[in-house]
Amino acid sequence: MIEINATLIAQVLNFLILVVLLRVLAYKPVSRLLEQRSKKIQDSIDKAEADQKAAEETLVQYKAKLADANVKAQEIVEKAEKVARDEHDAAVLATKKEIEQMKATAAEDIQREREKIAAQLRGEVVSLSLAAAGKVISKNIDNKENERLINDFINSLDKEKLGDLSC
Amino acid sequence: MHEIGVRETTRFLGLTFNTETILMTWLVMAIVVIISCLAVRNLKVIPTGCQNFIEIIVVWLHGQIDSMMGKRGRMLAPFIVTLFLFLLTSNLIGLIPTLASPTNDLNTTLGLALLVVVMVHCLGLYFKKGHYIAHFFQPFAPFVVINMIEEIAKPITLAFRLFGNILAGEILIIVLLRLTENPFWMTIPSVAWLGFSIFISCVHAVIFTMLSMAYLGNALKDSH
Repeated sequence: MIEINATLIAQVLNFLILVVLLRVLAYKPVSRLLEQRSKKIQDSIDKAEADQKAAEETLVQYKAKLADANVKAQEIVEKAEKVARDEHDAAVLATKKEIEQMKATAAEDIQREREKIAAQLRGEVVSLSLAAAGKVISKNIDNKENERLINDFINSLDKEKLGDLSC
Repeated sequence: MHEIGVRETTRFLGLTFNTETILMTWLVMAIVVIISCLAVRNLKVIPTGCQNFIEIIVVWLHGQIDSMMGKRGRMLAPFIVTLFLFLLTSNLIGLIPTLASPTNDLNTTLGLALLVVVMVHCLGLYFKKGHYIAHFFQPFAPFVVINMIEEIAKPITLAFRLFGNILAGEILIIVLLRLTENPFWMTIPSVAWLGFSIFISCVHAVIFTMLSMAYLGNALKDSH
């Protein structure tokens, strides 16, 4: 009933053939697929992590840039304010100077006008006096002598009186 | 009429072969290959339907192998999965009338058991070198006798456990139908026994595979 014969060897060979067949036909594709999938998942996870890292880095960079920009903006505003203040001060100064100058010019003008009018007045007084004197003492003295006399008189007046004349 | 224990033999190249066992083995091989091919055709990276089921089995098997046999066990995964599928199909095919299990022949079970044991020793020597021989003399030299008995007992128990269970199951199926004049009364016990035989077939396929894994694991694992 129990008989060991060459069947034993045949069965071992049959089984080994089956192992090879199954390995090639079934096991390999499945295990390759599983490997492929776990590799794909690993790749996806790695990529996601890398992306997240990159995003975080970018965020940090942007924050730094934003802070920088804020500081710069503050600086620019301050600078602009300073420039405006300086300009304002300069303008005020220039205006003041101009006013001073205008005042001086006006004073000069006034002085000149006063002198001009004084000279004119003196001339008129001379001619009026001449005319009057001429009528009073015509023929007595020649015109030249008369004029000299009157001028002398008026000059003395100039020195004593005209200086106090208010215009 | 089927005579229990009497086997038709064929002589080929001066060697004797049990005709039924060899033919049934080829049938089992064909079934296993066809089922496997059907199972793994049309594999996709994103699994659907029965691919999920196959992947669960493969992942579970990888888990078992990793825990029982360590990292090197992966290279034996095809061997283990083939052993299981072959034994399961062999055990179950004998329950179909007119067919017989290849595992009801001691030649098959002893062949597989010896194959496993030879692999254990070869792999043990290959991976552990001197340590493997030294471990037979642990904890001290005279234990070599006990260890040798254990090593010899391994294939014998492995082979006879499977052979005995499957042959007994098949014998009882025939015996139950011959107990009474009218086989009708034997329907219920026969069906019950058939159901139990299916369970036994599965259990012994698992036991044989698990024990093989444990033996191979001892040879592969770095115990230090």
